[in-house]
Amino acid sequence: MNTNRKITSTWLLWPALFMLVAFFLIPTLDILRASVYDPEFTTKHFVKLFGSNVYLEILWRTIRLSLIVSLICAVIAYPVSYFIVLRPRKQQIFFLFLVFIPLWMSVLIRSYAWMVVLGREGLINAIMIGLGFTDQPVKMLFTTGAVYIAMVQILLPIQIVTCYSAMSEIDFDLMRAARILGAKPWQAIRRVFLPLSLDGTVTGAIIVFMLSMGFFITPALVGGRKDIMMANLIEFQVNQLNWGFAAAISIVLLIATVISVFIIKRLAKTLTRRLVGGGSA
Amino acid sequence: MIERDVEFGASVTFDSVSKTYGAVKALSDFNLSIQRGEFVTLLGPSGSGKTTALNVLAGFADATEGDVRVNKKSILGLPPERRNIGMVFQNYSLFPHMNVFENVAFPLRLRKMSQAEIKKRVGDSLAMVQLAEFGDRMPNQLSGGQRQRVAFARAIVFEPSVLLMDEPLGALDLKLREAMQLEIKRYHKQLGCTILFVTHDQGEALALSDRIAVMGEGQIVQIDTPDRIYDEPNSKYVADFIGTTNIVDFERVSPSRVRFSDLDVEFELADSNKNWGEGRQSISLRPEKLHRDISPSDQMIIFDGSIEEYLFLGNIIQYSVKTKSGKTLLFQEHRGPSVPILARGETLKLAFSINDARPLDEGTHGSGLA
Amino acid sequence: MTRMLKRIAKVAMATLVVAGSANLAFAEDKEITFSGSGGVVGKVSKEVWWGPYTEATGIKINHVAAEAKRMPQLEAMVKSGNVLWDAMEVSASDYPLGVKKGLFEPIDYSQVDPDNQLPADTREEFGVAYAAYSQVLIVRTDKLPEGKKMQSWADFWDVENFPGPRALRGRAEDNLEFALLADGVPAEDIYKVLSTKEGLDRAFAKMDEIKPHITTWWTSGAQSVQLLSDGEVYFCPSYNGRITTLVSSGIPAEIVWNGGAMHKSYIAIPKGTKKLKEATEYVKFRTTSADRMREYVTHLPYPGWAPGLFDGMDPKMAANMPTYPQNQAVQFSASAEFWAENLEAIQERWTEWLLQ
Ligand SMILES: Nc1ncnc2c1ncn2[C@@H]1O[C@H](COP(=O)(O)OP(=O)(O)O)[C@@H](O)[C@H]1O
Ligand SMILES: [Mg+2]
Repeated sequence: MNTNRKITSTWLLWPALFMLVAFFLIPTLDILRASVYDPEFTTKHFVKLFGSNVYLEILWRTIRLSLIVSLICAVIAYPVSYFIVLRPRKQQIFFLFLVFIPLWMSVLIRSYAWMVVLGREGLINAIMIGLGFTDQPVKMLFTTGAVYIAMVQILLPIQIVTCYSAMSEIDFDLMRAARILGAKPWQAIRRVFLPLSLDGTVTGAIIVFMLSMGFFITPALVGGRKDIMMANLIEFQVNQLNWGFAAAISIVLLIATVISVFIIKRLAKTLTRRLVGGGSA
Repeated sequence: MIERDVEFGASVTFDSVSKTYGAVKALSDFNLSIQRGEFVTLLGPSGSGKTTALNVLAGFADATEGDVRVNKKSILGLPPERRNIGMVFQNYSLFPHMNVFENVAFPLRLRKMSQAEIKKRVGDSLAMVQLAEFGDRMPNQLSGGQRQRVAFARAIVFEPSVLLMDEPLGALDLKLREAMQLEIKRYHKQLGCTILFVTHDQGEALALSDRIAVMGEGQIVQIDTPDRIYDEPNSKYVADFIGTTNIVDFERVSPSRVRFSDLDVEFELADSNKNWGEGRQSISLRPEKLHRDISPSDQMIIFDGSIEEYLFLGNIIQYSVKTKSGKTLLFQEHRGPSVPILARGETLKLAFSINDARPLDEGTHGSGLA
Repeated sequence: MTRMLKRIAKVAMATLVVAGSANLAFAEDKEITFSGSGGVVGKVSKEVWWGPYTEATGIKINHVAAEAKRMPQLEAMVKSGNVLWDAMEVSASDYPLGVKKGLFEPIDYSQVDPDNQLPADTREEFGVAYAAYSQVLIVRTDKLPEGKKMQSWADFWDVENFPGPRALRGRAEDNLEFALLADGVPAEDIYKVLSTKEGLDRAFAKMDEIKPHITTWWTSGAQSVQLLSDGEVYFCPSYNGRITTLVSSGIPAEIVWNGGAMHKSYIAIPKGTKKLKEATEYVKFRTTSADRMREYVTHLPYPGWAPGLFDGMDPKMAANMPTYPQNQAVQFSASAEFWAENLEAIQERWTEWLLQ
């Protein structure tokens, strides 16, 4: 019986395994191959990459930007998800629908929309000048701040949805249990709700982080001249048909992403342990 | 063994408590007094207001009217965390991210006890529920019964004044449930705490309680000891809810004579018993109160019937008997070498004592159930 | 006997099927697949070029709208031996790339231009220049200081006399040329200077001057138009054709032809096409039919060098053409060869420079 079920379940996994190999493993290995065979075995692409400050600088900027974006998303999405999850079922669907609306617009259009809002002669400056807060337009567009705003707006729904689905799985009786056992409302949230929802929040943050690492259109449109992402470099090299160098950048980006995700997960685990274990309430 | 301070075990009073949710009256004029150390069970069908009563006591719901007192002091103004009440939830509500030790230590940490004190108390509680070795396990590594015991240990470790249990055994299978009933009874004896227990299982209520409060539509229909609830239900509703019973209609044909139309017999009341069944129209007749050995006396009512069906219940056999007027009654007797099993279609005479027939209030409650 | 009949029937059927498919294949031969720009360009081309071409030759054009990653796509096709395009548009910067990678068939000029009528610098070994586009300075005339007119890159660099936000394209190409022009290098010497270490340093030093005044570095032509029309910047180089969008939406803007970078677009034949003859025929049609080209530029300002193109063209329209003699005279011809040679090294320095 048991072995039977095992066989069945293995069969069911085959398509997934096939997809993974076909659409992920093989392409990745191919990129890895392209980065070191050009056409003979060579490390020149990696030597070039690590030999110049430019690429490492951009890698570091990409990681930093992605970290900050995912952190902002997490901090905003958390109370929003909490608010939604506390609504009655029907209202929850309504609010999730609201959250989803921007996802139907392309990233390009949303980036352009931000240009209209943040620009010199844009909405915010028009209002501020109209109200007399300033007589010169404030530079908001083409700054790193604009990149944060636009990317957070683009990625926030993903974080909210992940966070919400984690929260909606939490049994709210646990909060009652905590209360009757002696926890004040904020203690119940900190000791029970927060640790239980942290996993979902971290998962969401990791998804946002990984997506950010691959962003390039938005920073190019609304960012300043220093807001260059690793993906911009890859795009440039691909258009130059420098497959080998593009592959090397991709591999470095991939490895940097994996390492960062690993570190984020470890930090989250430590944080959870702190929240749960901390003797003083 | 947990050292008890005087607070452990308090009296509880619900004084004319009402709770409405919109148009729904979850509790209406609910009155209940529980003595220190008493084990009281709220028994009633789903939706009868049991959980609401616990929620009002625990502070999860505000009473619309009335007062709730613990040790004669009103607690309605206090938030749940300041009521010092223990609660075991139906689905255990163990914190899934904490191991067993931390779950049980949770209320103690909030009370800022010292590490040593916490260790000792948690150790004692876990020992009491025979899970001393399980401190490091996570809740999802425990069986249902073990989780139940951890939930119990967590609820009593801080010596609450009252312990509330809302259908705590509902999720367990029958065997485990019976074993846990015995354990709960043992804990109660050991701890001497006040327990307000909720169930819709009458067997469980009968087995555990000092007193049972049968609930219907937000009110207590009858509150009494288990034996009296069983033997002397005050209404069709209670009689039907507790155990199995036959409801038999009767009418008074003269001041001293009643007619059981369902049985197609009449009966002359003795002079000492003239007031029997005054103002009532039906009786509860437990299946085990019917018997075949007919020794006519002025206390006995005898009627004819035929066997329709029978059912083995271990050492008891239960017959469905059809009376002459077409009513079907249940009749139980112990099996034994001298008691031959009756075959389908066999006719027989059955008797019961007038003292075993409980005249019933029609009751305003649960008329749909009777 | 019946078995024999059946066999005959089978053979007959098979013959029919083979004959039928051969027929189909023949019909297919009367079509070439062309990879070119989509959007407006595609729509106009269909009307002006492809329809008349089919009429004249009976060869249909199956248009595949080009995506951004056209060269990588082409390389993959040529490598796998499964070439889906028979002719394609190639930008000036992509042309040397394709040549280096061997992605094009050589052009048979005895077919395309037997009488040697096209200018020599449009006849490349693996492609024929069919259109010109320029990156030229576009100025918001309403944002200019009273009575002043921006006329050169030196003016663009002059933030004292011409205050206001500016943008440049976020790539090294053209910008370094503009910088040298602004610094006084004569147009004919630009690439000679850029090829030296000192010349490159000089260009970057000039770029340093303007860097703090550049609001943003655009990445697509659409974006540059957006910047100008939103008033996000006042002075910004863009492609000459983009002026139409601005002017038609009521934005007062004009082109400074002086110092513009003229780029050639090529039409080339992907290596390994099975329809070399038909493709070559189309190349000839696209590059030498003056009447079609004259019609085309009434819709889009990307003229080529078809002999006799400006004969009888409305002079006002002609003045908007990058290949119009007066305009061509003040521009410089962007060197695709120089950039093919040096882009990789310069781009790295460029990126580093942007980050500083
Ligand atoms: N939070 C609530 N909102 C609205 N109605 C409720 C709520 N809680 C309980 N009720 C209603 O009150 C009545 C009693 O419910 P409850 O106390 O849960 O019954 P029991 O525990 O006996 O099954 C039911 O009709 C129920 O639908
Ligand atoms: Mg309930």
